[in-house]
Amino acid sequence: MGESTVIAILITIVGFPIIMTPVIMYSCRISDKLRNILVIITSAIAFGLSLSLYPFVIGGGEIQFTLFEVLPNLEISLRLDLLSFCLAILASFIWFLCAIYSLDYMAKEHACGRYYPVFIFTLGSCQGIFFAGDLFSLFVFFELMSLIAYILVIHEETEEALKAGYKYLVMTIIGGLALFFGMIIIFEIGGTVSLGVGVIVQENSLLAFIAFICFLIGFGMKAGMFPLHVWLPDAHPVAPSPASALLSGIMLKTGAYGLIRVIFHVFSPELMQSGGWDTVMGVLAVITILLGSAVALTQSDIKRRLAYSSISQLGYVLLGLSILNENAIIGAVFHIFSHAFMKSVLFLAAGAIIWNTGKRQIADLQGIGRQMPITLGCFSIAAFAMIGIPPLNGFLSKWTLALGALDANMAIYVFVLLVSSLLNALYYLPIIIPGYFEMPGGGGAGHGHEHDQEEHHEIKFDIKEAAPLMLAVMIVLALCTFIFGLTPNNVAFNLSRLTAEYLLMGGF
Amino acid sequence: MFPAAAELNILTGPMFYSSLPLWLTLLPMLAGIGIYLLKDHWENARKACSLAVSFLVLIGVTALFPYSLEGAVKYDLIDFMQMGLFFEVDLVGWVFSFLIALVWFLATLFSFAYMDLEHKRRRYYSFLIFTLGATLGVVMAGDFFTLFLFFELMTISSFVLVIHEQDMESMKAGVLYLYLGIFGGLALLFAIMMLFSATGSVDIVPSFELLGGQRIAIFIFFLIGFGIKAGIVPLHIWLPEAHPVAPSPASALLSGIMIKTGAYGILRVSINLFAPTDGLTVPAGDFMFILGNAVMWIGIVTMLAGATMALLQTNMKRILAYSSVSQMGYIITGVGCATFLSLEGGMGYTGAIYHVINHAFFKAGLFMMVGTIYIYTHELELPRLGGMFKKMPLVGVTFLVAAFGIAGIPGFNGFPSKTLVHDAMLIAIKDYGFLSVVVAEKIFVLTSALTICYFIKLFRGVFLGPVPEKIDKDYKLPFSVNAVLSTFALIIIAIGLFPNQILERILVPAAERLGYEGYAMDHLYHFNFFEWMPLEAMLIVIVLAIVIYVPAAYRGWFDWKPPWWLSVHAIIYRPFTYRLLDFTCRAGVLVDSSVDSAYDRSGKAARTWCNYVGNVDSGLDRFYEKSSKAARKLADKSTDMDSKLDQFYEKSGEAARKMADRSTDMDSALNKAYEKTGKAAKKLADQTSDAERKLDGVYDQAGKKAREQVERRFSEKKDKKGRFDPKKWSTKNLSFDTLLLVLVLGIVLLVIFYFGRSL
Repeated sequence: MGESTVIAILITIVGFPIIMTPVIMYSCRISDKLRNILVIITSAIAFGLSLSLYPFVIGGGEIQFTLFEVLPNLEISLRLDLLSFCLAILASFIWFLCAIYSLDYMAKEHACGRYYPVFIFTLGSCQGIFFAGDLFSLFVFFELMSLIAYILVIHEETEEALKAGYKYLVMTIIGGLALFFGMIIIFEIGGTVSLGVGVIVQENSLLAFIAFICFLIGFGMKAGMFPLHVWLPDAHPVAPSPASALLSGIMLKTGAYGLIRVIFHVFSPELMQSGGWDTVMGVLAVITILLGSAVALTQSDIKRRLAYSSISQLGYVLLGLSILNENAIIGAVFHIFSHAFMKSVLFLAAGAIIWNTGKRQIADLQGIGRQMPITLGCFSIAAFAMIGIPPLNGFLSKWTLALGALDANMAIYVFVLLVSSLLNALYYLPIIIPGYFEMPGGGGAGHGHEHDQEEHHEIKFDIKEAAPLMLAVMIVLALCTFIFGLTPNNVAFNLSRLTAEYLLMGGF
Repeated sequence: MFPAAAELNILTGPMFYSSLPLWLTLLPMLAGIGIYLLKDHWENARKACSLAVSFLVLIGVTALFPYSLEGAVKYDLIDFMQMGLFFEVDLVGWVFSFLIALVWFLATLFSFAYMDLEHKRRRYYSFLIFTLGATLGVVMAGDFFTLFLFFELMTISSFVLVIHEQDMESMKAGVLYLYLGIFGGLALLFAIMMLFSATGSVDIVPSFELLGGQRIAIFIFFLIGFGIKAGIVPLHIWLPEAHPVAPSPASALLSGIMIKTGAYGILRVSINLFAPTDGLTVPAGDFMFILGNAVMWIGIVTMLAGATMALLQTNMKRILAYSSVSQMGYIITGVGCATFLSLEGGMGYTGAIYHVINHAFFKAGLFMMVGTIYIYTHELELPRLGGMFKKMPLVGVTFLVAAFGIAGIPGFNGFPSKTLVHDAMLIAIKDYGFLSVVVAEKIFVLTSALTICYFIKLFRGVFLGPVPEKIDKDYKLPFSVNAVLSTFALIIIAIGLFPNQILERILVPAAERLGYEGYAMDHLYHFNFFEWMPLEAMLIVIVLAIVIYVPAAYRGWFDWKPPWWLSVHAIIYRPFTYRLLDFTCRAGVLVDSSVDSAYDRSGKAARTWCNYVGNVDSGLDRFYEKSSKAARKLADKSTDMDSKLDQFYEKSGEAARKMADRSTDMDSALNKAYEKTGKAAKKLADQTSDAERKLDGVYDQAGKKAREQVERRFSEKKDKKGRFDPKKWSTKNLSFDTLLLVLVLGIVLLVIFYFGRSL
């Protein structure tokens, strides 16, 4: 594949969804069917094009080119390497599936004419983040995505949603400003913000540290890092479920992605370690992990519980980044994949349950497995993956992360991971177990023995599942959690391994 | 592979590569899923499928025997997960596998009759067969990673068997089982990770020296992970809850087989993993000695606590469950002895494995016998049962056989294994003579006596005495039940009568392969169980049992219910788990909400500040307005004053002119008057010049006086002025800002002056 083809593809991946946004907005007026088709086609094209980059990237190809200069030395540029490919392929895949899922889910919702264009626009800007060639473009796309996603958050337009949206907006702006500030400092130090020049900041200085903190705030805010996570448990649950899946599954990852970029392309792992910056991240990651898990335990709303779980899971990625050796980076990148699959399934399954029954409270979900066995089945697979039961992908990422931690002689990190796994078990199993095995205490404890006699018949399934397309999406994703965990020779793990090697070799 | 380990491999004999172990684990798992997909009413197909699969597995495991006897069967599936799937069935692994397959087959057969009277059969069979694969995987695993994988699978799939009834009690027990299982799994995972980071491999090979400083932690986490499954005190709490609530065939498997996987793990860790890489030595290292002692004492405590608790129960399945705890104690004691005796540990090692075999048979059998009674009478409580010997004589006889087995009566299978473990302790006393071993041996004897006591209690309660009216029916047991129960009884008697068969054919070669030698091994080659020494020990136990049982039963000590605060729940678990969990949640919520409120508050504070700044701004605005108004007023006033002054000047000018005119008049009048008076004066002057001269003297005097007076008054006036003026300039009268201004000015001047000078 020639370079010019790749450049054309990159521009299309980023630009096409953005161009399609007004088209879709206009098509709403013509017919819903046309709009749906356009949405599916757009996301499918984005996914297909991302996929077509695979041979180029796996062959060690790497591209960096400038679109146009905004100011001297400040340009909009695109870049393709292993890391950006990993996230782009993941994002477009999940987006595509969520688009399919949305068709049925959103049929019951209002304001679809607003939802779909925004849905597609965020796809474009998200891909823009992953393909950005310098910090400035990254910043621009980052802000675009964050601000536009506000509309997804407040979709319900209830008071709660608006409040959460307001919080989201304020935090986004704080993060954006911090990013901007960090970028200026980097520009001041190195004279460039391009990601293609290797390491920009060579030596440790107070200014560099401030820049790092700024990036940590800006990207960490998006990644739900303590103490900047406050918007997340409010914003994710109120959005429509496919949007929550994207917010949790992909958009959080842009923060992690930004941090990886900053750590490896702006600073360097050696600098991080010599300055003790990795410790800062490590401590924050540990707090994030434990806090997210502990608070998730106390939530009674299923989507809120999932949102808190996202906080703790992103903590794993941050932990991997703070350890900074090969296994840890593989684990961190692979956990980005794992978590995207797991959490999308969980949110989509929760969404299917809400869509079907309107039940949000965990206490109401007793016996839901009889009604929606496939949905709860997918949910359970993803939840087991979260707990880290082999052979699901959550286990593989945890195992790799733990190996990284042990390589760095940080047994305490492994301990934290395992405690968090235990907490994961404690907050997922109370959803699953009563879901399948109804506890009689919940319904009628009075008629114990007669009930027994009656129940000597077989289990009665009163199946009323979600729409078939929704099920198909969930099954595909649940299969992904299984396939990508079964053997380390899967695409995701290989990509993570290559990416980690590539990053640790200095980005070149 | 380390050189020393490679050498050891030569010692362990040839390797056979075969995918059979993989298929033996995979087949039941796939079949389990398949069975779930069968339709509900295909009763026979389901049964046939389950039976066929468990039978096939049994045949497959048996087929492995010759290879395992010579060396080990290996299979490697590298491309699986991170570490690859690795099977290795050596002799010990085979013993466990065979036990699992055999008992599972019998339990499946037994399930047919039992489950026909139960509900949710499809789920039951499906998970029963699935669990078989997972359990086999645990003991066939060649490294800890594979072992862990199957261990987790087994925990989760057997959970469904535990909660089969889905009533309150079983759900509670099941949830406890699952959480503890997952906790144990994570502890195990932690240990495996540490092992991997220390040695770079997860193989089950001797690597004691390689473990480094973390070995204590590694061992403890292994012990927690496997100990939960094995039910060692105090990690046993799930066991007496979960085993009784499951359907009886499942209880039989849980108690007879699955807890053995825990013992298997402890055995592998403390004997195979924690062994010196260059073979066993005498005497064992300090660390190994302490470690072995600790394991042995864990076993001793477990056996005593289990037996005591079993004595105090009235639910027959709970008695059996606690009895399982107690019997696991025997096995672990054997492992502990083997560990700290090192080279001489052959006796303890073979004893432990022998007891695993025996316990699997009698405990699985006992659970099925009790289950047979339960499924027909729906009674588990001893006080409501009785006289079943007449109603179900076959069950009574087989029960008696199994009870003799577990009690260690010579001629039944518990006897040889208990004798071996006991002899291992005797060797330890002989070699080391430590008080701890002596005490442990005494407790061992006491526990064996207690075992007999609770079985007397159980047997009396269920089979003797009058038959309660409610269950006074005629029972006809199906053939399959009779067959299964008889099989168990026959196996128990067969092993009991020919104990040397298993010992010499399987256990001694297994021990040899580990490099055990010395007195214990010499003795083991031709061990005679039916000579006086072991029989004497057994006789002591029986006499002790009678001495304990008769008075205790007479006084009703066995009905004593231990108070809640004495239970492990109250002492350890409640404070730890609940408080810890509570603390975690609270701390998490507190931090989270405080961060959240910090944001809120900072937002509010910012708004307040903004308001404040706004206020200041508008205040300034108002101030300017006011001051401008005041300035205008001032300007107005000054204009007024100006014009007034103007008027005043004008007026005063006029007055001055008038005054001037008048004074001119007065001037001329005065002129005239002066002229007149001048003349008169001249006259007078003349006249008075005389008088003047006279008066001069008088005036002089008076003048002097007057001057004096005036001077005095003047000086007084001056004084007054001097006192008055400075007062006017005191700070009281000065406005403060003037002072400040002056001060600042002064300082500025001073500074300027100072710097000017220095320049």
